Amino acid sequence: MESEALRIRALLLGFVTRSFNVAESDVKLDESLIDQGVIDSFGLVELTVFIEKELGVTIRESDMTRQAFGSVNKMAIFIAARARGER
Amino acid sequence: MTDAVTRCARCALSAAFPSIEFDEHGVCSFCRDKMMATSEQSAIDRAKEQLTGLLGQRSRPYDAIMCNSGGKDSTYTLKLAVEKYGLRVLSFTMDNGFISPTARKNIEIVVDTLGVDHLTVRPSSRFYRRVIKATALLPIYQEQTLRRISAGCNACISLVNTTALKLALEKSAPLILAGFTLGQIPANAIIYRNHFRFFEESRKDSLDRLRAAVGDEVDDYYGISDAALDRVESYPFNVNLLCLEEVTEDQIVAEVEKLGWRRPADVDGCSSNCQLNTFNNFVHQRKYGYSPYELELSHLIRKGLMTRSEAIAKIEDQPVENLRFLARKLELSAQERVQLGLPDLENEP
Repeated sequence: MESEALRIRALLLGFVTRSFNVAESDVKLDESLIDQGVIDSFGLVELTVFIEKELGVTIRESDMTRQAFGSVNKMAIFIAARARGER
Repeated sequence: MTDAVTRCARCALSAAFPSIEFDEHGVCSFCRDKMMATSEQSAIDRAKEQLTGLLGQRSRPYDAIMCNSGGKDSTYTLKLAVEKYGLRVLSFTMDNGFISPTARKNIEIVVDTLGVDHLTVRPSSRFYRRVIKATALLPIYQEQTLRRISAGCNACISLVNTTALKLALEKSAPLILAGFTLGQIPANAIIYRNHFRFFEESRKDSLDRLRAAVGDEVDDYYGISDAALDRVESYPFNVNLLCLEEVTEDQIVAEVEKLGWRRPADVDGCSSNCQLNTFNNFVHQRKYGYSPYELELSHLIRKGLMTRSEAIAKIEDQPVENLRFLARKLELSAQERVQLGLPDLENEP
């Protein structure tokens, strides 16, 4: 994973642990946050608002796929690519 | 009833609430703002700005579908929609078979007073019973979801949300209104676009579990066909107008009483419309050790809109004598009642 994606992953993890009351060590980076029971549909709304407001990346409805949002690692890679204008 | 539960010295959160920590003064981590990642005020300000833009686009025949439970909060939200924002509203009630007779009457009186169209949708009682039993007896939902709401209420509100979306799409209404307050929902969810497919992933596992327990009928009630979704050009926004108001419960009640609304006497302290709430609360409290209303009421305390003693009185006002009638109406077996810790119904009149 490239450095920008690693930076974004750390920010996402910080948000998730603070907002959803989980320890960082409990979040599996390659599994869906929904499948792990960390977030629900409201959590998904909160996460997208955080990405848009704090990371400055616009999330489109068509982005909500397992490929892009299926894990913290996938999200970090997706957001980094979107920020570079690659997606 | 005395408060035997260990609670935060400032709010109503109990020691059983997930991840809670208390300082040396008995104040919880939520009250010390250690667990809030985003500023609530900035989310409210953003929602107000967004609402101004949304209200610029009016639609016929309806601007909004209003999820009207007949409770005080949705009644007040309906009043705001009609009188403050001037919206053309289709009021809709999901009749789950457990609505207090007084609440039914309230709905009729209020929609007539405000002059809005109204629709009641009543799912099959057999189906609804099976859903509520499944949510009480089985781990259908994620624990994260159940911090804010009981499993039974969550199943019911999901049904309301899906039905409201179907109605909004059918009527081309750009807004769906509900009477949620902050605490019941996060501040970032005051306004959000109700993109059904967007949420599908988050619902898939729980819907699979519900389908396994109840049957394929679940898809008829909780699903929207691909054909219908493929026709959607623009999804409506869900808007929770009450979250934008600084108003106490007493003020809300005083306002809705002017419309002819009366508080039902046959519901618990946390509901103003649904008798089943007492059963859902009982199941949640017994399973998790805290009331599903603690988060919401504690939020109102922190905002200065309710006192701690008022909140605790509401949590404790649970007419457990109604559990017998509710268990009968839900057709719970003796084994299921034992599993849920309900009062023994044998030899009852």
